Amino acid sequence: AVTAPGKKITARLKRTLPVRGPQAPTLSELMRWYCLNTNTHGCRRIVVSRGRLRRLLWILLTLSAVGLILWQCAELLMNYYSASVSVTVQFQKLPFPAVTICNINPYKYSAVKEYLSELDKETKKALETFYGFSEGKSKVRRSVDEWNSTGSDFFQQIPLLKVEDFSRTATDLHSGQKRKIEGSVFHKDSSIVNSGDSNDIIGFQLCDANNSSECALYTFSSGVNAIQEWYKLHYMNIMAQIPLETKEKLSYSADDLLLTCFFDGLSCDKRHFTRFHHPLHGNCYTFNSGESGTILSTSTGGSEYGLQVVLYIDEADYNPFLVTSTGAKIIVHDQNEYPFIEDIGTEIETAAATSIGMHFTRSRKLSKPYSDCTETGADIPVENLYNKSYSLQICLHSCFQKAMVDSCGCAQYAQPLPAGAEYCNYKKNPNWMYCYYRLHEKFVKEQLGCQQICKDACSFKEWALTTSIAQWPSTVSEDWMLRVLSWDKGQKLNKKLNKTDLANLMVFYKDLNERFISENPANTLVILLSNFGGQLGLWMSCSVVCVIEIVEVFFIDSLSIVLRRQWQKAKKWWRDRQRGGAGKAPRAGDPERQGHDNPACTDEDLPTFTTALRLPLPQDSPLPRTPPPNYSTLRLETAFTEQLPDTLELGQH
Amino acid sequence: MKLKKYLVRALHRLQKGPGYTYKELLVWYCDNTNTHGPKRIIKEGPKKKFIWFFLTLLFASLVFWQWGILINTYLSYNVTSSLSIGFKTMKFPAVTICNANPFKYSEVKPLLKELDRLIEAALERILQPTAGNSSENVSPPLDLELWNQIPLVLIDEHDKDNPIILDIFETNQTAVGNETAVGNETSKKYKLAVKLCSQQGSDNCTYRNFSSAAQAVTEWYILQSTSILSRVPLHDRIRMGYQAEDMILACLYGAEPCNYKNFTQIYHPDHGNCYIFNWGMDEEALNSSNPGAEFGLKLILDISQQDYIPYLSSAAGARLMLHQQKSFPFLKDQGIYAMAGTETSIGVLVDELERMGYPYSDCTVNGSDVPVRNLYSQYNTSYSIQACLRSCFQNHMVEICGCGHYMFPLPAGVTYCNNEDNPGWAYCYSSLRSSIKQRQICIDSCKETCNDTQYKMTISMADWPSEASEDWIFHILSYERDMSTNVTLDRNGIIKLNIYFQEYNYRTISESAATTIVWLLSSLGGQFGFWMGGSVLCLIEFGEIIIDSLWITVIHVIGWCKGLKQRRARARYPDAPPTVSELVEAHTNLGFQPEAVGAVAGPEALPPEPGTPPPNYDSLRVRPPRGLGPAGDADTE
Repeated sequence: AVTAPGKKITARLKRTLPVRGPQAPTLSELMRWYCLNTNTHGCRRIVVSRGRLRRLLWILLTLSAVGLILWQCAELLMNYYSASVSVTVQFQKLPFPAVTICNINPYKYSAVKEYLSELDKETKKALETFYGFSEGKSKVRRSVDEWNSTGSDFFQQIPLLKVEDFSRTATDLHSGQKRKIEGSVFHKDSSIVNSGDSNDIIGFQLCDANNSSECALYTFSSGVNAIQEWYKLHYMNIMAQIPLETKEKLSYSADDLLLTCFFDGLSCDKRHFTRFHHPLHGNCYTFNSGESGTILSTSTGGSEYGLQVVLYIDEADYNPFLVTSTGAKIIVHDQNEYPFIEDIGTEIETAAATSIGMHFTRSRKLSKPYSDCTETGADIPVENLYNKSYSLQICLHSCFQKAMVDSCGCAQYAQPLPAGAEYCNYKKNPNWMYCYYRLHEKFVKEQLGCQQICKDACSFKEWALTTSIAQWPSTVSEDWMLRVLSWDKGQKLNKKLNKTDLANLMVFYKDLNERFISENPANTLVILLSNFGGQLGLWMSCSVVCVIEIVEVFFIDSLSIVLRRQWQKAKKWWRDRQRGGAGKAPRAGDPERQGHDNPACTDEDLPTFTTALRLPLPQDSPLPRTPPPNYSTLRLETAFTEQLPDTLELGQH
Repeated sequence: MKLKKYLVRALHRLQKGPGYTYKELLVWYCDNTNTHGPKRIIKEGPKKKFIWFFLTLLFASLVFWQWGILINTYLSYNVTSSLSIGFKTMKFPAVTICNANPFKYSEVKPLLKELDRLIEAALERILQPTAGNSSENVSPPLDLELWNQIPLVLIDEHDKDNPIILDIFETNQTAVGNETAVGNETSKKYKLAVKLCSQQGSDNCTYRNFSSAAQAVTEWYILQSTSILSRVPLHDRIRMGYQAEDMILACLYGAEPCNYKNFTQIYHPDHGNCYIFNWGMDEEALNSSNPGAEFGLKLILDISQQDYIPYLSSAAGARLMLHQQKSFPFLKDQGIYAMAGTETSIGVLVDELERMGYPYSDCTVNGSDVPVRNLYSQYNTSYSIQACLRSCFQNHMVEICGCGHYMFPLPAGVTYCNNEDNPGWAYCYSSLRSSIKQRQICIDSCKETCNDTQYKMTISMADWPSEASEDWIFHILSYERDMSTNVTLDRNGIIKLNIYFQEYNYRTISESAATTIVWLLSSLGGQFGFWMGGSVLCLIEFGEIIIDSLWITVIHVIGWCKGLKQRRARARYPDAPPTVSELVEAHTNLGFQPEAVGAVAGPEALPPEPGTPPPNYDSLRVRPPRGLGPAGDADTE
């Protein structure tokens, strides 16, 4: 009578909740079952081993193996995003890069003089006042007179100053007055400034136009730098007001710059060059810019088969203050790249043959998640102001220009215009210089955030240049060479060329080997899985099947066992409550125990091979908790031998 | 019959497999295999069985798919590169030094005299057409034969559609007069061109246009002088070039003095006599184990610029090149200039690329597998891509034009081109040189070398000698060269060179196979182990099972054949099979006996019912139970 409710419950359970899920009725049984039947190696040993020590040892070993697997797999996962580098060299016909050539002097001085006359006068005056330099007394006198007559407040706003460092007073160029310097002092080149003996420092002061107390003084250790910097400041101001078409006319034409051209053994002329106006270098000419739709290529290396040009550098027509060196600047770049000639140009000497041997390297990095680079620049929140493909340089310049437009209200002269903005000039934006210098200071100190926003491009082409110089023309060939080149130049130029006005340039491929450096993912998913498999197999002879087993046994089965127990407990408790004070609940023991003691329960167990084949249960299996024999070979073998005599008999027939 | 019996017995012996039927076999396999999935299929309940069956199938297909990927990866022969940078004792590169000008003008003048007079006269005509008449009267008559072989012409492009071609010497005064008339116009439209004809006097001519007269004159002069010089024997040409003792004034390698005798002379068609230091042909290559200018090669050269051929090379300086030992210097490609009157310092970094050969990349180790005859092998130099390209060009030239170009070595039994023997050579050469097709053929047939060494140079220059030291330096160097107190050197000829290893003197990129066979095996094993916990042994198990099932199939087939035979034998009975009525009769009427029965003996001859076959023990044994046979078949497939 006492056990009756328990049995009833089990019977009912079997009916309503057939024992399908778990392999064993209790957790410990389940574990034992798992250990005996699992495919991993360690667990079985734990169950099978005899002796506490040995069992403990096996437990330890199995656990450490599991630990090792977890550690190694974590390492594998962490190293998944690593890249390996491969270098391939291909010998092939190579596309010739675009070669941009500029005269160092942006505009013909004779043509641009009318715009710059006031500035030049001012500069000359400064030179005379501060350094006692004059080209000719009368000239300067006259210019000073003119100065007084024209009178421009523009120059007065930002005059050159002579600073006495200790007293912090400055002498104005024009008024000669000494005035107290306020505001912060910026030293453009810092090293000598603080040394005691140089107390005459030249510089200029930029003030906020709205708030004149906010000033920044820029000083230079050398007057050369100071005057050039100051000149450039005003020069940009003036040039910003001249429309582009006029500026293009003021600068050199292709006929002016290029005397001869020879490419790949064939003659070329100005039609092969594309004009491109650079704000600081005037008209530049790009050879092989690809604008005509075709990109020239070379199929032979060597100096004879590259680009050979003779440039005419009219040294007499140079701006004396803006540029102080003579020659040309060239840059070798890809057709899609913007030539940042002021940043990475190579300078070409006059009266010399510069031979530039190129070696082509193409590189490709892997983008996210391998490294932080950008493929197209589309994911960078900076608008590309240049009409060329993305590069870090473009991004930085665009970013600065954007910041400039945002904070100063106008665009800086050296970079392209964003939509809706216009170049700064003193008339419209009296405050821009101070603003620009402040902003530039910030930019250099990485306070604008441009350096953080801009990423480098993932793929780039590089032409490694080997530059060497020879004397040209040689002393014996100078005579005829200059005569013939003068004839080439034609009647426009009614004088014989001077060799210091000429520069010979050869740009060629040293070899046609293209080096391609690329990053490749070191790991693919396949390899990662292989490595996982290797680790699992090495330590525990485990596979995904084991993992599924673990999930099945430890999560699903265990959970269902626990749930079932809880359910039964709850039911029992409920029943006990129903009975009220009928007395203590019978200690019938665990229902699960009953469950597995009950042979009927085993019927509900998942069919084993034997049951599947509907073979009779082995007679000598009294306890259902022992698993069915792993290898049923024995049984089948017997079935086989039973039949064997039969066959033998037949053989004798 | 005996053979059959033996066969059957052998079958049984071999077939001592785990079961008689496919199903038994499969069940046995699933239960006993070491792969993880199959065991579950038979151990679990019906629903889980299905899940496990599905999972096992999925995992097996995953394994095969991933194996496919792995094998594909292996067969693509990827490489990984490793980079190493540092300083180590390395062979000092071979240094080739040439003069930009190939021959001393004083020596070669007798040969080029006519040519120079021609070009001077032509230039007179072109540049100062009116003043040209007077000078022509003074000079002796020009040898126009040389001119007529390859003439320079003026092209008048005033009329774009109908350009007028003016030969400089042959045209009469009217043409020259025209030129003077239009010469004063602001836009000059004259162009100089070289007229190239396939045969002298023939109409098959092309005009090589030049945008610049300077270029045209140089090209023309090179063509003409090539033709003249190609007839001069080699030893004369060497004699006309710069001698080592005249050119190399001082030499210091590390702390050891060296002199011009340490240089190997080589005749280079572009630059005349070239001298190679440390070429490694006869003696061991020198090692350098210290970085810095103090331990490098220091040279003082004299290029004697006064003795240059005026029209041949307009750039003045020394041409030098660093290259590997035993390789031919291709100065036009890799050479650099050193300017006179300067000290040029060259810091060297050896940039090496060591590549794996076939099948990893398509490169050649020693050029033996390149289908181009290497003409530079006569210098005992190693294969290089430049040598291959030039040999390829020269071979084409010989094939098409019938003579070899002066700038490249000659194949056996061929002579250099010259105007007398091969009047059309310049035309032929010119068209061959600009032929894209020919170049592409050469590019396709030449292969790069597997070991690519480049010398990265950091070049810097300074004025040398300084004004203060100039006097004594010139004095000493002149004295050493000529044993005379006369200063024979000047700034226009003297060059100082320092060539040394940089602080890091090598950068080696070496390739190694990314996927080796070991990698492949471990990855295959990893995959198999990961999804199914299998190993090679499992594959062997599987193979075993397949063999077993094959035997079962064989036994089936034998059984089926036997059955067929019996049926055939039955079909051979003379009587028609009993009809249904007969059978019914026979069944119900026990006295009924068909007549023919007695004729053929044997138990099988008495089919009481057509459905039941006669008892045949043999067939019983081999044949599976009717119901299971096809099922087993389906399972294996």
